[in-house]
Amino acid sequence: MTRIDALAKLTGRAVYAADVDLPGLCHAAVARSPFPHARVVAVDPGPALEVPGVVGVFTAADLGQGRYGRRVRDVPLLAGPEARFAGERVVAVVAESRLAAERAAARVRIDYEELPAALEAEAALAPAAPAVHEAAWSYPGAVVSPDDPPNLQSRVRHGSPEEAERALAASAHLVDRTYRLPTGHQGYLEPQACVARVDPEGRVHVWMANKSPYRLRHQLAECLDLDPDLIQVHPVAIGGDFGGKGSPMDAPLCVELARRVGRPVKLVERYHEDLASANPRHSGRVRVRLGCDREGRLTGFRVDALFDGGAYAGFKPLPTVTLHGLEEVGSSYRVPAAAVEVRICYTHTVPRGHMRAPGAPEAVFAFESALDELAREAGLDPIEIRRRNLLADGEANPWGATWVEARGRVTLEAALEAYRPLPAPPGWRHGRGIAVYDRPTRPGRASLRLVPSGDRLMVETALPEQGGGVHTVLRQGLARALGMAADRIEVRQVSTAELPPDDGVGGSRVTATLSVAVARAAEALRASGAREPVTVVLDPATVPPVTSYCVQVAQVAVDPESGQVRVLELLTAVDVAEVVNPDAHRLQVEGGAVMGYGLACLEDLVLEDGRVWAASLGEFRIPSPVDVPALRTVLVPGGRGIGALGVKAVGELANVPTAAAIANAVADAVGVRVRDLPLTAERVHRGLTGGGEGTEEDERRGGRR
Amino acid sequence: MKLRFRLNGEPVEAEVPGDLLLLDLVRDRGLTGTKEGCGVGVCGACTVLLDDRPVSSCILPAGCVEGRQVWTVEGVARRHPEIVEAFLRHEGLQCGACTPGQVVMAAALKLRGGRPEEAVVREHLAGNLCRCTGYRAIVESVRAALGD
Repeated sequence: MTRIDALAKLTGRAVYAADVDLPGLCHAAVARSPFPHARVVAVDPGPALEVPGVVGVFTAADLGQGRYGRRVRDVPLLAGPEARFAGERVVAVVAESRLAAERAAARVRIDYEELPAALEAEAALAPAAPAVHEAAWSYPGAVVSPDDPPNLQSRVRHGSPEEAERALAASAHLVDRTYRLPTGHQGYLEPQACVARVDPEGRVHVWMANKSPYRLRHQLAECLDLDPDLIQVHPVAIGGDFGGKGSPMDAPLCVELARRVGRPVKLVERYHEDLASANPRHSGRVRVRLGCDREGRLTGFRVDALFDGGAYAGFKPLPTVTLHGLEEVGSSYRVPAAAVEVRICYTHTVPRGHMRAPGAPEAVFAFESALDELAREAGLDPIEIRRRNLLADGEANPWGATWVEARGRVTLEAALEAYRPLPAPPGWRHGRGIAVYDRPTRPGRASLRLVPSGDRLMVETALPEQGGGVHTVLRQGLARALGMAADRIEVRQVSTAELPPDDGVGGSRVTATLSVAVARAAEALRASGAREPVTVVLDPATVPPVTSYCVQVAQVAVDPESGQVRVLELLTAVDVAEVVNPDAHRLQVEGGAVMGYGLACLEDLVLEDGRVWAASLGEFRIPSPVDVPALRTVLVPGGRGIGALGVKAVGELANVPTAAAIANAVADAVGVRVRDLPLTAERVHRGLTGGGEGTEEDERRGGRR
Repeated sequence: MKLRFRLNGEPVEAEVPGDLLLLDLVRDRGLTGTKEGCGVGVCGACTVLLDDRPVSSCILPAGCVEGRQVWTVEGVARRHPEIVEAFLRHEGLQCGACTPGQVVMAAALKLRGGRPEEAVVREHLAGNLCRCTGYRAIVESVRAALGD
């Protein structure tokens, strides 16, 4: 089944935000703070105004006090009077060309007074730490109180610590380990980009690389104190998302600039700006205390996670302002007593946001590594300990969720059955590692309009295409639900002015959402006699969720001399129900596995003295075609899915267990347990030469050996 | 400075600033298929053909194309429909941000001739990053394009 968007993308005709051209278009560039924490003492726009083509120079004082956020509204359009991270927007320049704007931005004279900064999560929560915000609790959407430490963004607790302690105390075997994860960038190839135009009547038009147009409209309305109906978000293609394209980012600034210069304004970040200032993955540490009885049955666990949220909380969308993957740690297993605490704090560093299954790769790396370490303590095989503890149908997970079917066991067995050992190079040691993840599929709100015309059908949706193939899936789903040929269905992406709100793309929910929505749409169309246009709005609350399992088996070769790790193969077994588009489904699994490999072995958005060190995709490396291991995908059919199409989530599965699977494989190969990502040759080598446990914090990060 | 070159087969005369990059030269002419990714010549999204060899247009001064042939994805897709067809058939794309560069790289390999093995194709594409697909489908698409 050919993708709807493929031909336009292959011939260069697809329009992304950076490609949008409008009459009278101006370009914006920003001057950014070089300091983690500084007071902006004075701004002299004089030298910038001398650059030919400059239309205007703007500071925080010129733009009003509005702040934006996906939940907590704490992000200013421009910094002032304080800049809270190195890379923060301080002055904006509008000019006739992008180069003129950039040249002028570089010439703005900004006097800073550098202030003491909180650069590490642990230190930021100490009583004497410099406060990132004077009153973080006062921001709309904040979940902290004046009694909390000033640099706390959120704290979430589940389970009973007392019961967990009692269970751990009574365990026959116990591990207490801490795992660390670096900051990472989503690595989309299209940098953050937006275009804004404000009509003389005050109507706002936005073209943006953003995956939830109605939420963007709402966030802009809140920040700019506008009626949402005055804001129209127009369709563009999105050049990669992975969680990073869900915030308003530069759009509120772009709108305010457009309003002030009376012309449309485009702001496209250079990639180095995106690396230093957008919304990369949270860094953090996860402490796991996990116990089992003599038979290897899990008795209890306590998980304590502390993550660095950077200078602003506004890039996290959940009402709890946390990362849901961390809250759901251990979800695949039967554990009688469990407790988790997740804290996220402010520091004077780049604000952190979502990345593909936020919190889940982190939680699973820690928990699945700890499970292997526990198995070793208990003298059990890593496969056996999982077999004994994976949930069965109808059993409650540690957080009280029960699923009609829990297909962890069958997915594990399918993975093991498909597994074939590959040869390691001479002198290298072979290792195998396994990790498990499960993720619930929950449909979101959706709206569609079906416009019949003879034997053809036009479908309008405001869902943007960020690469997953949503428009193609919509067409196929409708074709099935209506029993008509897909080539008679045309999908048109429309602006937010044309349909009731929907939730956009994200949370691995869109195929499931459409699975329900197309059935409703087909019913409505039939009821109307298929002559009139019908609009369908799906309320997600009525659809019971299911969960999907993903089991990965990594095999590695490790050079015992150098510590170099070669991942020979990543085998991904995925619990599926119906698969609407096998090609697109496979790409989600393969692309996910490679992203998981990047997290495991390559990616580290290093902060040095609080500043993002990488200036390009040369220094922040993501996997290239020659880096990636061999990939095998095993689909485990027979699951019960959601909606008329009977589907399960896939977008945020395969990237999650990879790091744990590879770390477990390295431990299997050479007995070195690496608890800090990325899993570099240096870390393995340190373990090889230091007695088998590569646990030391990296010097660069913590300064201790 | 004055510039004379051929763009997608058509003669072009343009008056351009001396510090203009080839990327902006083609994009300013409406050929926005060529994408700016990393901006420093490591991701491959901006790849175009210069006299049938692939170059990163984001780091090449526009002046370098004087008297030469430039092919962007728009022209390559017209000149090599079999490449487009191969990517369609093998679903060698998702978000599309790297896709123009991959299509141009397929053409570069095709113009070099031969039927290289998978490892050679991967090596050829090593400088064309894709964050979506995991590469298998792109490599298959390129190999299929060479086979036709």
